[in-house]
Amino acid sequence: MSPNEIAIPRLQRSGGFRTWVPSGPAPARRRRDRREGNGRWFVLPFLVLLTLFMFVPVCYAIYTSLFTSKLIGGTSFSGLANYGQVFASSEFWSGVRRVLLFAAIQVPLTIGIAAFFAAIFDLGVAKFGRFFRVVFFVPFAVPAVVAAMMWSFLLLPQFGPYTRLAGAVGLQRTDFFSPNLILPTLIVIVIWEWAGYNMTILYTALKSVPREVVEAAVIDGASFWKVVMRVKLPMVSPAIVMLFFLNTIGALQLFTEPSILSSFQPQAISFGFTPTLFVYNTSIGSLEYNLGAAAAVVLGLVIGALSVGSLLWRRRRGEFA
Amino acid sequence: MSSTARVPVAHTEPGASPGRFVCARRRASERRRIRRADALAANVPVRLYGVRRGTVILLTLCSVLFALFILAPLVWIMVNATKTQPNVYESFGFWFARPFVLFHNLSMLFENVSGAGIYVQWLGNTVLYAVLGGVGATVLSALAGYGFARYRFLGSKALFYFVLSALLVPITAVALPLYLVYAKVGLINSMWGMVLPCMVSPVGVYLMRTFIDASVPQELIDAARIDGAGELGTFLRVAVPIMVPGLVTVLLLSVVAVWNNYFLPLIIFTHNSAYPLTVGLASLSQGAETGSKGQLVPVLIAGGLVTVIPIIVLFVFLQRYFRGGLLQGSTTG
Repeated sequence: MSPNEIAIPRLQRSGGFRTWVPSGPAPARRRRDRREGNGRWFVLPFLVLLTLFMFVPVCYAIYTSLFTSKLIGGTSFSGLANYGQVFASSEFWSGVRRVLLFAAIQVPLTIGIAAFFAAIFDLGVAKFGRFFRVVFFVPFAVPAVVAAMMWSFLLLPQFGPYTRLAGAVGLQRTDFFSPNLILPTLIVIVIWEWAGYNMTILYTALKSVPREVVEAAVIDGASFWKVVMRVKLPMVSPAIVMLFFLNTIGALQLFTEPSILSSFQPQAISFGFTPTLFVYNTSIGSLEYNLGAAAAVVLGLVIGALSVGSLLWRRRRGEFA
Repeated sequence: MSSTARVPVAHTEPGASPGRFVCARRRASERRRIRRADALAANVPVRLYGVRRGTVILLTLCSVLFALFILAPLVWIMVNATKTQPNVYESFGFWFARPFVLFHNLSMLFENVSGAGIYVQWLGNTVLYAVLGGVGATVLSALAGYGFARYRFLGSKALFYFVLSALLVPITAVALPLYLVYAKVGLINSMWGMVLPCMVSPVGVYLMRTFIDASVPQELIDAARIDGAGELGTFLRVAVPIMVPGLVTVLLLSVVAVWNNYFLPLIIFTHNSAYPLTVGLASLSQGAETGSKGQLVPVLIAGGLVTVIPIIVLFVFLQRYFRGGLLQGSTTG
């Protein structure tokens, strides 16, 4: 073989051939390239770890959930008995109801606040927008553990600064951790943590709306609020839908905040206050790993079903190819 | 998903574009001028909306109130890290009180908690987990993102969907299963039990793929190949230098995710010498509240402050990269 015969096929294989010959093969030819197979070596390390540390454990948890361990008699196959126990547990379902209620209030509130500030900073109708955007995003850098700790001191019965403030405006003896107020308290904490993050995402999405669209609306005489409500926000609805989805998944997994609050206010947080706490307390707390695994699988399925459902819904509405 | 995943990053917020990264060291005055020009190009001037002056003041006031809501707990933690235990409860929460004992609290924190300087150990653990986990996640995501963006091999599409499906698996549903597997293979209390799962970042892969699609031209890679570069050489010497802004974004997001992670280390560590700061602080707060260790509350608060500061510093200096990453996740949803 002469050197030429080697060189030319290499040019073709590389897909760069058409830079030399204008009437060369269409870009699609590239896909048949033998070099393309090398891509698998790039994705392999990630896929190995993904399998080992995500899919294997999940499968093992499903397997474990089908057995029952007893102090006397060891481990035996028990089919779906653990699932029956989870489904029959009123503690588990009260946790599920609680996080659903929590999500139903916290998610729209967070996104509403985020959208409000994103819109006014985007259109520049509030002063010092850059400064506020940085400030609002700061809680993203604060671990949930520290956030919950700070808030439990701020809301401490009797001594907390906010409790005193409530006392000063006439709400004596407010207990932010009483059964009636614990959910609103958690909602405030979670809004504190996540509103700025949501705002940042919406702000960047709003910035990508082309200037011409807004100009056209303004020339047609649309007022400021019309521009926001009818032009800007509808154009970023995919980002809003995605935030609903992410926030809901996060809310259903609520764990860190109630678990930290429980070390300050043990009476406020029950064994199965949220489904994740139920999983944690049954397995790590009470050492009933099989039951905990079953509860984890149920929780994963509920969240997974919600995710898939919302993806399908978005795809049907054509927001998502 | 593939078509939405290809939405170019081009329409970013001005100032977050990869091009701007090159000029990071431009003089401040010039930067300001560019920013103003960008703002003018991107925005319709406010007065055209016919917004009244009163409305602007009202909206600014709303922002001030929300900023107070956001900043109050942070001010509280800074102020109260300087107080004695009685003062934490008795004095006004948002202002200093005598005596000023910040340094005493810090030295208690670093020397005397549990008698063995265990907070220093937690800090070291956290840095170790965050650096190893963050760097690992970035390297793996960059490799996988490049593989998915620039190669079409057998099953590449199906594998990418497999990665996306991992996005839907809730982390809390994985932590307990991991514990069960670790108990079988002896990874409980092992550093690797924490670091390796943190290296698995489906979001990182997705971000890197989107970034590479938008900013690493296929023609450049083809050119490198014609010049005889191997596949890995092309990746390292041609693609990686262009990918730097995306890499920094993924690195920062992963480091913060590991630094703030609580549930996974809580479940897989049983020895407190392996704890990261979050789990350590949680165990401290239990001790502080049940009163088994007197005078521990201000030490705990100082511990919280020390946990927060590194990430806030990181974030304030590098916030353009945080925004860049958030953006890609959002416009391409």
